[in-house]
Amino acid sequence: MSVFHLTIVTADGKYFDGDAQRIIARTIDGDVCILANHTPYLTALGMGECRVTGSTGETRRAACIGGMLSVVDNEVNLVATTFEWAENIDVSRAERARKRAEALINQQHLDARDLELAQAKLKRALTRINVGK
Amino acid sequence: MKEIKLRIKSVQSTMQITKAMELVASSKLRRAKDRIERTEPYFNIIHETLSTIAYGKRDFTSPYVEPREEIKKICYLMIAGDRGLAGGYNSNINKMLESHMKKHGKPVCVMPVGKKAVDYCQRRNLEILTEQYSIVEDVTIGNCFEAAHFLADEFRKGTYDELYIVYTNFVSMLTQNAAAMRILPIPYEKSEAKDDLKSLVLYEPSPEAVFNAVVPEYISGIFYGALSQSWASELAARRTAMDAASKNASDMIEDLSLKYNRARQGAITQEITEIVAGAEH
Repeated sequence: MSVFHLTIVTADGKYFDGDAQRIIARTIDGDVCILANHTPYLTALGMGECRVTGSTGETRRAACIGGMLSVVDNEVNLVATTFEWAENIDVSRAERARKRAEALINQQHLDARDLELAQAKLKRALTRINVGK
Repeated sequence: MKEIKLRIKSVQSTMQITKAMELVASSKLRRAKDRIERTEPYFNIIHETLSTIAYGKRDFTSPYVEPREEIKKICYLMIAGDRGLAGGYNSNINKMLESHMKKHGKPVCVMPVGKKAVDYCQRRNLEILTEQYSIVEDVTIGNCFEAAHFLADEFRKGTYDELYIVYTNFVSMLTQNAAAMRILPIPYEKSEAKDDLKSLVLYEPSPEAVFNAVVPEYISGIFYGALSQSWASELAARRTAMDAASKNASDMIEDLSLKYNRARQGAITQEITEIVAGAEH
């Protein structure tokens, strides 16, 4: 299968830099799958699972939250806010974060902004838990 | 003689402090330089992509790209240090901001990062947006995102019309330059290469949506990048300043011990002369 060059970076450094056959990522508009020789493309990422199939055909899963995905000249750049390979996710920590966020949301006297923040925290925790399991 | 001895002691203890600070700064500097290297690819890719869309954006409008007709207020994101004793680091930033404000002559508000920046704004009575990020060393990437969302929201609301970041560029261990850069509205450069590209790129769901989702990301990327640069600059400046201070201190000690030995020798000679004179009688 033909491959393309994939770079995954976050502010913490590079997570992937090499050839890949396929990448599936959750955008703000739903999941997309990018194969080699894709048309120039740009989208913003949502929160969700990201699957990367490397040049040898093995697939790795990761939790990918926020950022953008661009394709130019068969070069794919995924710039994420946070990106964690499934094996590096600390599920118990994510569980704790989920409980904290749920407790926050259940409080009655939250203003709109705090509620939004708590919901975002909950979503992030859920994404991590789903991918990490 | 006693005075000289005391003076040597005090210089020695000062030297101990400057030496220690120099060592601390160098070890932190190594980590700060690693951080710059790690963040660089992220910073470059996001900057490139954004300026490409901003340039090719003629078929849509976004509040983040349109320059506003009347600029009523300018916001500065100012990054300085937490502590002094870093040579000209903090005063260079202050000067940079000062000259920038003078050039534009508009009302300003500031989001200071670093204790020295907060001090400066209070002294100058500048409007402060938030003091949440007053300690540079503790600002994390998460804080950068928070701050970026906050700044983007305020910009859309019209609290201010232009956003600049004032920070220090880490050129090398010996050179650091204070710089001011416009973040919003997003600046873009014209280039031939981008001309071919702009018509071809497919945006999903739409250029506006992509753009508006990516802008806070972009601001926080720049913020974090500038923060890393400034942090390394502060440490490098402190290291250089402390190195010079230690050298001066050791020069001074040398000078003083010479004086001390001379005085001691003088006293001994005098005593001998007195004894000899006494014996002769």
